[in-house]
Amino acid sequence: MTGAHWAVIGVLAIAAFSIRVVGLIAGGRIRASRHAWVLDELPGLIIICLVTSSLAGQPLQTWIAAGAALGVAVFTNHVIATMTVGVLVFAGLAMIGI
Amino acid sequence: MSASVHAGSSQIVAVEQFASTQTVLGAALAGAALNLRYIGIVASLSDVLAGLPLRTKLLAIHITGDENWALTMAERAKSPDVGSDFLLGSGLVMISVWTASTTAGALVGAVLPDLERFGLGFAFTAAFIAMARGLWRGQSQMLPWLVAAAMTISSVSLGVPQAYAIVAGTLGGLVFLASRRRFERVKP
Repeated sequence: MTGAHWAVIGVLAIAAFSIRVVGLIAGGRIRASRHAWVLDELPGLIIICLVTSSLAGQPLQTWIAAGAALGVAVFTNHVIATMTVGVLVFAGLAMIGI
Repeated sequence: MSASVHAGSSQIVAVEQFASTQTVLGAALAGAALNLRYIGIVASLSDVLAGLPLRTKLLAIHITGDENWALTMAERAKSPDVGSDFLLGSGLVMISVWTASTTAGALVGAVLPDLERFGLGFAFTAAFIAMARGLWRGQSQMLPWLVAAAMTISSVSLGVPQAYAIVAGTLGGLVFLASRRRFERVKP
């Protein structure tokens, strides 16, 4: 590790943490404003975007496994059950070559 | 690096950028920019963190990752008792596992088989699907979620990096909601 490597880590750590501090300040201001509804909506929207960004451009196997996981999630509302079925369907489809 | 930065995609991009350009600031900023969604993620924790001392808030936002944040919000939607203790506990577990596993990956990762084939990567997608279900409040969310999903998929399809597509999709959903609220206010 050279000094430049440590510098990249240090600057990145400061920059990444600063972004979070901006979020902390923004959250406090939004909560006290007439736009407080945004804070209720953000979690769902961000999670949907995390899901769809990981599915975009993926093969049929991934979409089928996601459909199975969604079905389990709708009926059980249980994280571990959804993960288990999703991974088993994904691995099963991989084994049979889909 | 994993302990001080705690942002996987940012670390990968910064390392790749530095390897190809050798510029410290450019590599670090390119990596940090991928983390912009954390403005929204941390902002949404405003209620969870309310009343904590500043030092604890700063620790909480550092150890927050996508997974433990989403789990906290999903569990909080089921039970309002879930709060900062859950966020801090799950965050400490996550940053410990993250740091230990990335260290192990750096040491022995090259000799492991392709774990993606067995669905290890998909486990996170499935977890987020379950957490989205936990945050589902009813039909009123259907359209904004569809707008956000469509914008994210379109962005990725156009070649936009996933991290920016997530920000674009979230903003798209918020703009839709703001427009709907305005329309409902002016409706006679």
